Amino acid sequence: MKKIAFLVLIAASTFTLIQSCSKSGNSTPDKNNGSSFDRGAMLTNISTNIILPGYTAYQADAVTLDAAVTTFNTTPNAINLTAAQNAFIATYKAWQSVSMYEFGPAAAIQLQVNTNTFPASVDVINANITSGTYNPALLSNLPAKGLPALDYLLFGTGADNTAILAQYTTDSQAAHRKTYLATLTTEVKTNATTVLNQWTASYKTTFASNTGTDAGSSTSLLVNQLIYDYENLKNYEIGVPAGVQTSGQALPAKVQAYYSKISLALAKLHLQAVQNLYMGASGQGLDDYLVFVKAQYNGGSLNDAITAQFATSLAKLNGLTDPLSANIISNQAAVTATYTELQKLTVLLKTDMTSSLGILITFGDNDGD
Amino acid sequence: MLMASCSKNSTPSPIVDPPTYSVPTTYNFSNANFADATTRLGMYTEISNLMKNALTGTFDATKAKAMLTNTGAPFATAAYNTSNIQLADQFSSGFKADVNNFIDSLAKASNAYPTAASRGVAGVGVSNANAATIYAETSLGLNYAQVFNKGLMGGLVTYQIVTTMDAIANQTIDNKTVVNGETAMEHAWDMAFGYWGVPIDFPTNKTGAKLWGSYSTQVDAGYHANQILMDAFLKGRAAISAKDNATFVAQAKIIITTMERLTGAAALQEVQETKAAISDPVVRNSRMSEMYGFVYSLKYNPKRVITDAQYNALLALFPAKTFWDLTLDQVNAIRDAVANQYGFNDVKDIL
Repeated sequence: MKKIAFLVLIAASTFTLIQSCSKSGNSTPDKNNGSSFDRGAMLTNISTNIILPGYTAYQADAVTLDAAVTTFNTTPNAINLTAAQNAFIATYKAWQSVSMYEFGPAAAIQLQVNTNTFPASVDVINANITSGTYNPALLSNLPAKGLPALDYLLFGTGADNTAILAQYTTDSQAAHRKTYLATLTTEVKTNATTVLNQWTASYKTTFASNTGTDAGSSTSLLVNQLIYDYENLKNYEIGVPAGVQTSGQALPAKVQAYYSKISLALAKLHLQAVQNLYMGASGQGLDDYLVFVKAQYNGGSLNDAITAQFATSLAKLNGLTDPLSANIISNQAAVTATYTELQKLTVLLKTDMTSSLGILITFGDNDGD
Repeated sequence: MLMASCSKNSTPSPIVDPPTYSVPTTYNFSNANFADATTRLGMYTEISNLMKNALTGTFDATKAKAMLTNTGAPFATAAYNTSNIQLADQFSSGFKADVNNFIDSLAKASNAYPTAASRGVAGVGVSNANAATIYAETSLGLNYAQVFNKGLMGGLVTYQIVTTMDAIANQTIDNKTVVNGETAMEHAWDMAFGYWGVPIDFPTNKTGAKLWGSYSTQVDAGYHANQILMDAFLKGRAAISAKDNATFVAQAKIIITTMERLTGAAALQEVQETKAAISDPVVRNSRMSEMYGFVYSLKYNPKRVITDAQYNALLALFPAKTFWDLTLDQVNAIRDAVANQYGFNDVKDIL
């Protein structure tokens, strides 16, 4: 329950009392002869060239997936199953580029947990199929919906595609299962569409015009969610399955995309998406902001340190193999070593970057007390 | 020095009337004495630890109740046992009526161990994100350790602070006769400060801040209660000693208002915590229990602004049957209602 909220300003000598007096970060300390970094330009670049294209691609893939499932349900055969599976993989990959924008329209409908709560609960999924009732609003259904549930339904209901197909044709629950499958892909599509439309219609402007750095400003939301989502990647896609929270006891079934076996591919895309956001693609990003405020790290540039750690982390991921769940069993040490490098990047982003930019971490750690 | 550079209120502006006095920047009044309040918060900590560590079917409800009344030397800290003071006789009547039920409900869930908490089943549940996070929850998903904790914050701390401030605002406490180095009013004010649970040089120093002292910091990003309360406590105490009646009455009223708003802010903070744990049912239920505890505890505040009808409407927004059936819309409805009630619409998502 303890909320970890810390504010560290670049002028570390002005200590804690600032927290209670400084309301807006508009006066972010810059050491650049009084001029200030153009956050509006950075936000516009990020929304125009990263966020909107990301949502557009993801929504298009979600539409394709829903259509592929409709086709499959009408004509459940091997070809249509493969088409639905491929559409699912494309959607899951596209999701990796948009999962970090959990503010504004996405936060309003809790897109992240509605789309990607994993591991899926096979028990809850099967109970919903058997009962033929499903209330998407119940939070208890989070592990029975979204992409992880589809991962199970499309890849995990049988040992191979022949067995999976039987679940949708000859199995006693085939009709219910098809209905549930379609309900879930429609929900994924609807949520994606809702968020994309709100960004396009108005939030793009709201986002680009809220240029402060205080809690609730666009830069603060972006940085907070980048870090929050990055920690999800580090913890839930890599760390927890590798056993870092369970004294080394591996939990390989907890990986993202356990059944479709694309966990590592997704983790790489996810890390690249976080890095792309950090860099502002080829335009103004957080890297430029850090350079502007001359953020230092161990006598060098903080941006250089972060860039190097992104590269090291990706290299570690590249040294692993899919299925990640099998790799965890065959070479747990390599996966744990990857986690260690990812953790180093957390510190750089969460402590050094936020303190250099005067951004308050506003999300709580669920350490409980 | 830092304090002077940014706090608006602590720099004494020229006083029109005779009393001239300075307001210190820390609660270092030479005759201040709030040891009894500190002792009671220490007693609370022992009860809280008993609850936190008793998640394997061993929660001793009888001992917890004995700790409330300081009966039979129940505390590990020997000085508490011989202090001749207790928690229970300081509770609001409402909390006194509820507290045993809270403890018994927790015991029922805790003693169900090793049964896992699930919908309709009381027991001890584990977070799906962190195996070290464990809570005892009733069959409806309530963690009564948290309801007790928040209840005590309302039914002891807020109740004591608000009741004292009300008496001081009405000047019904003597401020002339000096007993043990201070007047009754000075001592009452000190006790209220002590119940807040912060170090004397708060908020520069936050070490050891407890209960509301901890929560006023947790919500500080959106509601700067730390400085509001510290300024008021310092200014009011200096004014009491200087017999500056108008000033201490004004500060007492600020504290009364702030304590209720702070409860609303804390409930909103738990909304955020609930959302942060939204896909983790056992943890989500516990966060909801904290939120519920804060909202429920509003009724222990005798000076509350919220009406009974508004209070009941707020409680009715919680899941009717069980926390296991929570929806996001319900969480948001609670958030919006609390934010409306206490004027936090602008900051409701960042507290």
